[in-house]
Formats: sequence, C-alpha cells, structure tokens
Amino acid sequence: MQPLMDFVAGPLFRLTFAIMLLGLLRIVVLTVWGVIQARRQTDDKVMPWKLITENTLGWLVPVLRLWKTRPIYSVVSFVFHIGLILVPIFLIGHIQLIRESIGIGWPVLSDNLADILTIVTMVTAVALFLGRLFSKEARFISRPQDYVWPVLLAIPFATGYVCNNMAIGAGVYQWTMLFHMLSAELIFVFIPFTKIAHCVLVPFSQMVSTLGWKFPPRSGEGVAETLGKKEMPV
Amino acid sequence: MDRVKIFKLILWIVTGLGLSAAIARFAFGLGVTTNLSDTTPWGFWIGFDVVSGVALAAGGFVITATVYIMRKEEFHPIVKPAVLTAFLGYIAVIVGLLFDLGLPWNIWHPVVQWQHHSALFEVAWCVMLYTTVLALEFSPVPLEETSRYAKIRSFLMRYRLVFVILGIMLSTLHQSSLGSLFLIMPFKLHPLWYTPILPIMFFISAIALGLMMVTFESLFTSWLYRRKAETPLLAKLGKAAVWVIAIYALVRFIDLGARGALGYIFAGSFESIMFIVEASMVIIIPLILLSIPRTRHSLKGLWAASLLVVLGIVFNRINVAGLMMTSATGSHYVPSLSEILISASVVSAAVLAFLFAVEHFKVWERKPIDPEAKVEKLPEFDRASNTWLGRPEVAARIKYSLAFVLAVAVGLMFWPFDRLESRGIQDTPVVKARGGEKLIINGNRNFDLVLFKHKMHEDTLGGKESCVKCHHMNIPGDKESGCWQCHADMNKYTDAFRHDWHASPSGGNLGCVKCHEPDQPKMALTASECNECHKDLIPPGAAIKVEDYTAPGYVDAMHGSCVECHKEKAAALDKPKLPQCTTCHDQEVSDSINQAIAAKHEGRKSPWVTMPEIEEN
Repeated sequence: MQPLMDFVAGPLFRLTFAIMLLGLLRIVVLTVWGVIQARRQTDDKVMPWKLITENTLGWLVPVLRLWKTRPIYSVVSFVFHIGLILVPIFLIGHIQLIRESIGIGWPVLSDNLADILTIVTMVTAVALFLGRLFSKEARFISRPQDYVWPVLLAIPFATGYVCNNMAIGAGVYQWTMLFHMLSAELIFVFIPFTKIAHCVLVPFSQMVSTLGWKFPPRSGEGVAETLGKKEMPV
Repeated sequence: MDRVKIFKLILWIVTGLGLSAAIARFAFGLGVTTNLSDTTPWGFWIGFDVVSGVALAAGGFVITATVYIMRKEEFHPIVKPAVLTAFLGYIAVIVGLLFDLGLPWNIWHPVVQWQHHSALFEVAWCVMLYTTVLALEFSPVPLEETSRYAKIRSFLMRYRLVFVILGIMLSTLHQSSLGSLFLIMPFKLHPLWYTPILPIMFFISAIALGLMMVTFESLFTSWLYRRKAETPLLAKLGKAAVWVIAIYALVRFIDLGARGALGYIFAGSFESIMFIVEASMVIIIPLILLSIPRTRHSLKGLWAASLLVVLGIVFNRINVAGLMMTSATGSHYVPSLSEILISASVVSAAVLAFLFAVEHFKVWERKPIDPEAKVEKLPEFDRASNTWLGRPEVAARIKYSLAFVLAVAVGLMFWPFDRLESRGIQDTPVVKARGGEKLIINGNRNFDLVLFKHKMHEDTLGGKESCVKCHHMNIPGDKESGCWQCHADMNKYTDAFRHDWHASPSGGNLGCVKCHEPDQPKMALTASECNECHKDLIPPGAAIKVEDYTAPGYVDAMHGSCVECHKEKAAALDKPKLPQCTTCHDQEVSDSINQAIAAKHEGRKSPWVTMPEIEEN
C-alpha cells in the first residue's frame, strides 16, 4: 500500500501537475499567437478595447448579467467556483505538504470555512449536473465532457471531506486518500485539453470572439464550403 | 508528415526531456544528477558540449577565410550556413558551460577578474568576443527580411572583412588554447594524447573538423529538405580536407615517435584500443575515402567521410578532456543519463534554431518550401481532439508544443526528487553498547571504540536519581532505554515514533482519531503529543529537552550529550581536558579492548557451523 501511495503522491503527481501547468501555459501561448496572426490578417484593425475589458470583467460575475434570465443557474455556478478555486489552494493540509516539500507556504483557510466551502461545492456540483440533465435546452447543446466534469470535480472534494472529518479506520483512510489523489490527478491531466482550460483563457475569450467580427462578411461560409461542411452545424 | 516535421518533432521531445533534466540539475546540484566527482571533475559536458562544441563550430572561420581572404568565390553558397552553424554552436557552448559550472551565475567573472596566466581566461575572452563577431557576421541575413534596418545592414556589410579577420584571429587563439588547458596535466593524461604541442594538434584538427562539419551539415539539410546536394562543391572541400588530415596525421605520428610513445598503440590496453578507433575514424578511413576521386564525388563517400571525421574528432576531444585520465586517476566514469540528455537537448535546441533560421531567412539562395503548404490543401483534422488544426504551420505548432510539454512532464516524473538530500549517505544501523558497569560503545563496529564508565558516571552524578540526566526519553514501560533504540542510525536522522506500527494490528491497532483531531487534517501538527498517552515517556527532570520525535544520528547524539555536559563540568571542576576528544576516544584503550576481544574469540569454534579442516603446507 505505502509504495503505491508514494508513487501516486510522488512521480505521478509530478507528471500530472507538470502536464497541467505546462499545458495551460502552452494553450495561452498558442491562443495569443493565433490572436496576433488573425489580427494581422483582418482589414479592420480597430479593436473596441474598452468593450472587451468591460465584457471580460463583467462576465467574471455572471450573476449581474444573467440575473433577469437565469437567476438560479447564475448564482449556483458562481458559488460553485468559489469553493472550487479556494479550497484546493488554501487548505491547511495542502499547504503543509507544500511547505514540507519545497519550503514555502501561504496563508490558509480556517478549517471550518474550508469544510463549509467543500460542502457547498459538492452540493452545487450536483445541482449543476442535475440542471444540465433535466433541462431540454441545456441537453441539446451539451457534449459528454459537460456531464462528466461536475461529477469528476466533486470526487476529490467528497473524498477529501471524508478523510478530514470522519472517524474512519486507518485502512479505509488510506484507500480514500488514494482515491482522492488519483481523481485529482485525473483532473490535472484533463484541464488543459478540455473546457476547464477557461481558467486561463478567460482574459482572451472576449478578444477572440470580437476578432471574429473583424473578418469580411460571410467568410465563415467560405470556410465551411472549403471544409465540405456546408449548411452543417459548427 | 514530411521528414522535416518528424525530425523536428523528435528534436522537440529531446529538448523537453533535457529541460526536465536541467530542472533537476539546477534544483539539486551536480552531485546527485551527474557522475562527475572530485577525481573526474571534467566529464561529458566539458568534453562534448564545450571542447567539441567549439571545434564543431570551426567551419565558420575556415569557410569565411576561404571565401573572403583566399577569394575562392565558388564557396560563397555555403558561407551563410557555415557562419550560422558557428554562431549557434558558440551559443550552445556557452549554454552547455552553464550546466557544468557549479556556480553558473558567476560566469561573467572573467570579464572583470583578469587572470592573465590562465589559459581558460584567454578562452573565455575569445569565446565572448568571437560570439559577438559571429552575431555581427550573421545579422545581415535576418536584417535582409525588412527594409527598416537597411542602414545597419549596409554598415555591417561594409565592415564584413574586419569581422572575418577578427574571427580568424580569435579562432586561431582559442581553438589552440583549448588544447593548452590540458598542458598542465602531463601525468594525468595518457601519453598517447598528452603532448607539449597539444594546442597545435587542436588547431589543425579543428580545421579538418570545420571542413567536414560544413560538408555534413550541407548533406544533412539537403536530405532533410529534399534539395539537390551540393556534391561538386563538397568534393572540393573534401580535397582540401585530405591535405589537412594528412598534415594532422603526420604531426600526430611524428610527435608520438619523437616522444617514444608509439609503443603504447600496440599495448593492448583500453587506451590503445581507443587510440586505434580514433585514428581510424579521423585519419585512416577518411583519408582513403576522400583521396579516391570517385568516392569523393559520390554522395555516399562524402556522407561516410564527413560523419567519421565529425564523430572521430568529437571522440578525440572527449578522450583528451577526461576519458583518458581515468586510468591515471584510477577512477571510473560513465556519463549519467541526465548529462547525456542535457547535452542532447542543447544540441537539439541549436538544430531547431538552425532550421528556424533556414526556413525564415535567406540562409540559402532560396528558402525551403513546405511541401504540405499548398493553397488548395484542407486543414488537418485531428481525431483525438475532434478539431480542425488549421494551416500546416499551425497544425505543426500545435503538435510540437504538445510533444514538448509531454516530454518535460514525463521527464520530471522520472527524476528522483524525493529524499535526494540523503543520497550518498549509506544506512549504518547502530549496534547497541555492550558491557555492564563499563560499556563498550561502538555503534558501527569499526574498532574505534569508546569505553564508557557507566557506573562511575552514575556514582559521580548522584546515584539512581541521576539516570534522567542522560536517559531523557524511554520506551513506554521502561526506565532506562538504550541510546540505540531511538538513535538507530550512525549518521542519519531516524523517526523515534513508529506511525505504521501504531496503526497495525500487531501494534496498538489504533484508528486515526486516537491521536488526530477527528475534524482536522491528519498531520503531525494536529496530532496529540506522545506523552499524553505514554505518561512515562519523558521522565521528569530530563536534562535534554525533546523537541520532536525525530532522533538525530547516533554520532551527533553521543557527541551532543557527552561533550556539552563535559564542557560544563570542565568549567565547574577546573579540568580543562575533560571536553577534549582524547578523553573518550583513547586509542590505547580501544586497541587493548579489541585485542582482548580477538583473543577471546581465537580458537573458538561455532557449535552451529562446521568448518572444513584446511591442511597447512
């Protein structure tokens, strides 16, 4: 058991964490590179920077934008992100591990707050999953990864909560902890290659969609025709 | 995919793996990531990256001298690639040197700290200046791309001859000085390589290597980009190389004969085999191949000759720079995986830069055309990500970056990051002290023992009350646990608390919450103190305060408790000798006890093992 734990916490963690960090860096570089090249090819060089900035910052808090049309979804998804980001980065157990391995640390969440945020994240993850499942419109535009992600993201939170708070035997503890680490590593590997890459692409998404308007009218149809995908949904 | 793209993909993967090795090298230092040692401080990095790298870049000054000084205009098409190879080669040398330097941030020291007796000082300055000169020589090529820098470009072109002359001067100086570096080790370097004219050897072989490296590079890039090989031109270079190699061979063998070292060639030793391999690669086979006009004008002959000379002279540099010193120093050296990977990645990165320059600037008469970049060609579809990858260049960019990222990550997985600091310190379990009123302390049983008068210490310190002065922590239920029970290794820290034993069925079979707070993370911070359960663990009045439950090594623990107490007593009782080494480490006592033990065991037979009777002749 212990060698397996050591492997998952050591080499496998380094592999997956490096794939995540470098993969995210890569996707940012490729995106910026593509944006620069695309802009060079457009005729209209005027970019509405103020609007882009407003939209980028505005969509960081979607509650303000969606309050009238989809109030529940906007609140739930916003609340879901709070715990999702804060708990892994500021949990005292994680910080202690980082401090032991590379010697640096940072302020931590109080344990009670972390527990509350964990429960909130798990509940909202389930709510998002169910919301997608039972909404006809959402089902229509959903890909498989859209269903998998909320569930997958909830797994390390659930296992972490069990390890942290429940009186379990040492053997059960180790297996749960193994499951916790493995599920987190699975998430690390998939982050740069799926929609979760939006964690670093947020600053560029408005820019990219604005740039799309700078190309000549109907040029998209030309692309679709070249691809042999005329009159097909993109 | 075209062969260029496959080749580039491989280069990106090698660069990525090397980057992960470089991270390990800078994070943990040379000791754990290389096989270099105090006896073999110069290994593969110096031999290949630095000494060979400078020689491999010699094509730059050889070809510029041929074209601009000797006015052989027919070689003009290969000037730009040769200068580019030299420039990138010198950058690679400097980057490679950064890995080998123990304190790489001090690389600028030769600029201000002048040590004019040092050959390395001259090399450092020449390399700095020549890299600058090469940058100035090559910069007209990229500047050609835009008209914005036309003035700078025409200025550089006007003074080109100055740079060429400077380049030849500087190259002559430091190509030979790299040989001078090894003049101070006549007793270390094997006589087949050591010679007082090592600088001259280095210079002549660098010219031969320069010619052959340009040939090899031209042949290889022609193959890579499916261009027509410049065979007639390269055959002329080959003809020149015949003369240079012949002169080199002559000087080499005359020198060996004059020093009386010819006999070593047939000594049958490791060195003689290496010499024969090297001589056939550099001298014999290329001379035969290149002096026959038919093979010289054939593609295969040029390939074979250039590859042999390039590899052979690199081999020669590695031999001189360390490999042929191992028998004199009695050491054993094989480069570690990280040394090889870092060198390979430096070369790969340089080759990638070369290919980039060739594709984007007019290094050749015409830039190579990507055969996949046709206007009517559809963007590439990637099944794995279910997306269109865009134009061929965009698709290539996506693939290269992915390969690079994965290579770095996989590399990081394999370097042993954990517990590196304790590597090199062997486990030395402690053997407990034996005896009664007098204890024989000899943790690692190396015959340097200490006789510890236990009864005497007990009596002078105050009888039974004084046990706690030394026995500062005891196993539960015990009152006088031995030192070795916690300080279990001679040198390393060991854990006095046995976590897994407490959780195991043979131990306490305790659940997590027995020690850890139920609603807290499970770590040492949130665990209850040992003496909350084990009340007798630390006796009241213990002289040594236990801060945590990691016990220092046996040596440190003994010295810490004995010497500190002896210092106090020395001051109190006015006995200045008390804290000195010989008070406890008495060689006479140690020897006499060892002899007594040996005498006691002499002639004794083990009842369990029957030894065969040996007849004495």
